Amino acid sequence: MVVTTRQSDSLFSNGRLLDEDKITKALNNATDLGAEYAEIRLVSETTNTASLKDGKLERAIPGQEVGVTMRILADGAWGVHSTSDIASIADQVAPTLRLAKAVAARRSPSQLAVGLADVPIIEDEIHWKSIKDVRDTDLDTRIELMLAIDNEAKDDEKIVSTSTGWSDEHIHTELMTSEGMNRVWSFQRSLINGMVTARDGSDVVSYRMRHGGEGGLEVIESCDLGEMGRNARISALRLLGAERAPSGKMPLVADRDLTGVYIHEALGHPCEADLVAAGDSCLEGRLGQTIGSEICTVVDDPTMRGGYGCYPIDDEGVDTRPKNLIVNGVLTEYLNHRETAHRYDLDPNGGARAQDGLHHPLVRMSNTVIQGGSHKDLDELIEDIEFGVYACGSRGGQVDTGRGSFQFAAQEAWIIENGSLSRPVRDVSVSGMTLEILKNVDGLTRDAYLGAPGFCGKGQTVPVGDGGPLMRIREALVG
Amino acid sequence: MIPDDAVERLMDSAQKIGQACEAAGVKEWEIFASQGYGNSLDIEAGKISMASGGGEGGFGIRIVEDGRYGFAHLVDPSSAGRAINQALSIARKSPSIEGFELPGNQSAPRVSGMKDKAILDMGPEDLLEQGDQVLTRVAELDKRAVAVGGGIGVGAGAGAIVTSSGIEDGGVYTSHGIGIHVSIDEDDQLTSSYEGESSRGLLKDLTACVDKAVHWSQITRQKIAGGETEDCPVLMTADGFSPLFSVVVPSAIKGERLARGESFWSGKMNEIVMADHLSLVDDGLMEGGMSSGSRDDEGVPSRTQKVVDSGRLAGEIWSTRDAAKLVSEGKVSEAETTGSASRGGHTSPPICGCSDLILSSSSNTHARDRLVEEMEEGYIIHSVMGAHTANPTSGDFSVTTSTILRVEGGEVIGALSQAGFSGNMSKALSGRVILGDSSKRKGSYSTGSMHVPDVLMLDGLRINPA
Repeated sequence: MVVTTRQSDSLFSNGRLLDEDKITKALNNATDLGAEYAEIRLVSETTNTASLKDGKLERAIPGQEVGVTMRILADGAWGVHSTSDIASIADQVAPTLRLAKAVAARRSPSQLAVGLADVPIIEDEIHWKSIKDVRDTDLDTRIELMLAIDNEAKDDEKIVSTSTGWSDEHIHTELMTSEGMNRVWSFQRSLINGMVTARDGSDVVSYRMRHGGEGGLEVIESCDLGEMGRNARISALRLLGAERAPSGKMPLVADRDLTGVYIHEALGHPCEADLVAAGDSCLEGRLGQTIGSEICTVVDDPTMRGGYGCYPIDDEGVDTRPKNLIVNGVLTEYLNHRETAHRYDLDPNGGARAQDGLHHPLVRMSNTVIQGGSHKDLDELIEDIEFGVYACGSRGGQVDTGRGSFQFAAQEAWIIENGSLSRPVRDVSVSGMTLEILKNVDGLTRDAYLGAPGFCGKGQTVPVGDGGPLMRIREALVG
Repeated sequence: MIPDDAVERLMDSAQKIGQACEAAGVKEWEIFASQGYGNSLDIEAGKISMASGGGEGGFGIRIVEDGRYGFAHLVDPSSAGRAINQALSIARKSPSIEGFELPGNQSAPRVSGMKDKAILDMGPEDLLEQGDQVLTRVAELDKRAVAVGGGIGVGAGAGAIVTSSGIEDGGVYTSHGIGIHVSIDEDDQLTSSYEGESSRGLLKDLTACVDKAVHWSQITRQKIAGGETEDCPVLMTADGFSPLFSVVVPSAIKGERLARGESFWSGKMNEIVMADHLSLVDDGLMEGGMSSGSRDDEGVPSRTQKVVDSGRLAGEIWSTRDAAKLVSEGKVSEAETTGSASRGGHTSPPICGCSDLILSSSSNTHARDRLVEEMEEGYIIHSVMGAHTANPTSGDFSVTTSTILRVEGGEVIGALSQAGFSGNMSKALSGRVILGDSSKRKGSYSTGSMHVPDVLMLDGLRINPA
């Protein structure tokens, strides 16, 4: 038995879950059999989700999940084994090593072997304590806070339905490696969201809202939930009857949610060095080059406490730090894990993240923010726009990192005419090419902070934060 | 890949958890158990970059008490007592739904094609050989082409459901899938295409997927200048259409959303909602269907449900709880389960969702070349970016495409670099529509599996060239 105990109450406490002696023996066994490197990472998650439909409890799901993944690097190739049967992981050393060697045997002489950049070997525990631990939050409290949104959101006869949702999680990770790394860390995330649906005859629209971040109940309590519900209702009612957005190239002003999604999709993903190494990034070979307007400085920062994409240690055991992706328009840093850092002879910068204990780490973003500029406010940003669009709230986005093309969609928008907001429009999406649009950013307000929390998919889903100031793009394809 | 007695083991554990429910005084309970195993390989930068294997599973406990329900999930059966108490505690805070009971046991039809012994017998080395074949094929087809990403995977899973109402069923299923992202980067121009395919049985020809990826990477290199924004006919290949369709349509046919006014088809039962030659069937009994099976995920026998019949909205899909709830709320006068409960695994309770959703036409269907001739002028779109941003409530979408071909005089004259593509799915499907003649499953999503052909839509769509 690898786990110290199978008693569920202790399994999900703050104690150690991996039997250190047995894991150490398994890792030593891997290197004795010829592995260059081996690691075992366990993640236990205590989760609670809940939702209301029209103000009534629809579902509440408490969950306790645990998964463990072993990675073995042998002959310059990876073998991986993941399982929720954590007691069996030590038995998988030999088959996983064989997998790695079988992959390595297929590598042609022209193809690079995988290597890992050196990192400090650390043995420690880091536990980010929430002010109000999510595990102490009861269902009544969750319902009460969701109702705070619901009560305001439904207050109109044209609102035909409301739904609100809750998610909180306590994440506990243990990592042991053949190099002697032995780290344990834990932290929490909390999220509340909602959606209102409005109908007028055959015209039906919906509007979504979301608030959350790293931390416990205090994250939710810090939000004026009534105002969030009220604003969602007002937005949904405004969308009813709003005309279809114009199509074509025009100036675009984005609120901080959309600015965040834009910078995440258009810049963040192409900066992921595993995509660069795969030949699937438009930013390959561009480190040190000017790729954007000089007013653009972009940081990806997992240490930004409170952001939904925070984490204290990355999933390879590397300490986190802010990464300056662009400084004054110049591409200065890729997001790396140990493998890509080795390949490009760079320092690892703590960019390795896995979805959970059943997945291996990839290069991922955390909290990605474009820094503030010099414009005072929205009025100043739009005062010299003859005709354009002001777009707000994100419905998500997507990027083709190789081509460098991206798309993101807004929840609502206004036409800008002669320096003022005129009428609302709907179904606004924006697309473009990363290397063109970044140069077209010509205005940023001073205040930059994270927008609504989000989720990023790249085969695996991880929570992220993104945001910035209000941003003006001289010309974007709106459609 | 999977132990011979996997189902028996799951069933045994589920029964023990059920007994623990009984011991806790719970009269209505449902234990859903799953255990999956798989092997996969990742392709990156023209090579196999990683091979992996493993398994995961667990149990979901749903209990019902006086029409109130609670749910909890767990990995380790020894912690069932705690999970049962959690589920009970939640049930007691949940609203009581008059008439809601767990479904009773009914005999269920057998659905074949759910597992393939050839997959069960596959080892990691077999998968690596398939990877070699795929990479070799890319190089054979075009020396410039590189498989920049993708992977191949095989999986086998066991599932079981045991309930207090006498349902005891379980089975084994298999899957085999490939995804391949090919790009051609030459002369400062990069084109690419992602193609995927999956099946319950062993995929006989992985190279078909590769051929298509290389073809679209090649054909989109013949760039022409984009014209003006225009409302025009658009032919979406099945691959391009399926993701958009999957975001918008499966949600519109849920009984709950229809009853609450959350569907663009709300209030239109028995009215024409699509072109009068189009039909939509949700088939939970499809042989080898990726979202089919003899029972749904709460143990109700699956069925074939007609949703749109010759353009007329003729049906909707329900889970047991949704049906009882909407009746008790007075939103509908009557409703009952259509065997349409699904769940993402043991960690979620059953919710209403479609299974294998088929779009078909009673009119003449045509091969792609003929559809292009019919279109005369317009565009062909093979993939879109941002399908997930489509609005399932209204049917509106505004997405982007980089695999778009311009058609003039019934012939393809070249490719655009990029274009915006917008419209309303409901309106487009109720206008003039012609379907292609080959309807294959084109993707499995969280919303079910879509079976759609190429679709030529002549009305209500806008192309906005970059």
